[in-house]
Amino acid sequence: MPVSTVNTFVEKFLEAVDFQDPVAVTGDTPLASLPEWDSLAALGVIVMCDMEYGKTITGSDLKTCTTVADIYALLG
Amino acid sequence: MGTSTLHHVRYAGMASCVPRTVLSNVQDCPPAMRSERERLVRNIGIHQRRMCFEWQCFSDLAFEATGVLLADLGWAREEVDAVIVVTQSPDYLIPATAIILQDRLGLPKTSIAFDVNLGCSGYTYGLQILGSLIASGAVKKGLLMVGDKSATVIDPLFSDAGTVTALEYVQDAPPMYFDMNSDGSGYKAIMLPSGGHREPYGVEHAMPKRDEYGILRWPSELILDGPAVLSFSTQQIPPAVRKLMEFSQIADTDIDYFIFHQANKLINETIRKKLGLPADKVPSTLAEFGNTSGASIPVTMTARLREALLGGRKRLLMSGFGIGLSWGSCIVDIEGAKFPEMVEL
Repeated sequence: MPVSTVNTFVEKFLEAVDFQDPVAVTGDTPLASLPEWDSLAALGVIVMCDMEYGKTITGSDLKTCTTVADIYALLG
Repeated sequence: MGTSTLHHVRYAGMASCVPRTVLSNVQDCPPAMRSERERLVRNIGIHQRRMCFEWQCFSDLAFEATGVLLADLGWAREEVDAVIVVTQSPDYLIPATAIILQDRLGLPKTSIAFDVNLGCSGYTYGLQILGSLIASGAVKKGLLMVGDKSATVIDPLFSDAGTVTALEYVQDAPPMYFDMNSDGSGYKAIMLPSGGHREPYGVEHAMPKRDEYGILRWPSELILDGPAVLSFSTQQIPPAVRKLMEFSQIADTDIDYFIFHQANKLINETIRKKLGLPADKVPSTLAEFGNTSGASIPVTMTARLREALLGGRKRLLMSGFGIGLSWGSCIVDIEGAKFPEMVEL
């Protein structure tokens, strides 16, 4: 997938999760490595995918994702 | 059931009562949780909540609101012939709280009184049920009491409130339009799993464990699947509201205010944006009163729309959604109704 679109998604991802402590994230970043990747972050990402990409994803979908790019792949 | 129209039902008045104890989601949480809590508050939009004293019940709030509303309406107690209570925090598991309130309020023994077990969708459901009794001609004046006692110090969402709404039979009242829905496949999204007949309360439910902040968590606590509730609310409510407007042939420009159940900011803002509604037509009380379950629509009317509603005819679209899963919306024209100031107990 094009790097530019993944980078755009990462920007939207960071806005959606609204982490309290800034952290560097790329498409390859494992979700489990993000200290504040929690249920609130998941809610933000579900809303972002719906409103920005018109794609409905569920909490179960998110549980199948290992990296940030895996979430982006759900939008395909 | 889907869509329906009720005739001859007048919205006569409504009163809301909240406990006077105010909790701050940030200031009153354990210090170790504060940073996480600040982020949570930014996203759910709930800064303060109201919480009953331990000895208070939801019915105490509803009782207080009812006394104030009946005085404002000038209704004699003997005139009331229906009491419907919509709550998930009854005084007792049995008998129904509505029947206890019939006696406590001095309402006649000829009144019909029963409880309905619903939460966040409960206000619109209650209007439909009481409205149907009135539209049939069997009930001339009825009271609908909606609310819950669900606040805890730790949980950041729920807030306590009790409300009462008065409906009456009036031959030429404007029609009320409804759209009601249920989806039991989602029953696990919000539930209290123990204490019923499927899973009787046992010793294992009284064994708390400490979470990562050292807070005791009981196995009998409410289960809330956040992502499932979010997906349900943001996927189901916008089309349901559009369907009701289409059914009633009423455009969004002909509706003065849209009052949604106050779930949390993420959910409510997503619904509002999907429907393309301007913020000034969609009042919110999340910041000040949190999620007051089935009471959140009337609490928002009292806190935000009281002066507008007293000022002349208004058309409201109300939409409640939540536990069940269940969701109901209605369009109600209100004119000359009584709306006492918010009661604090």
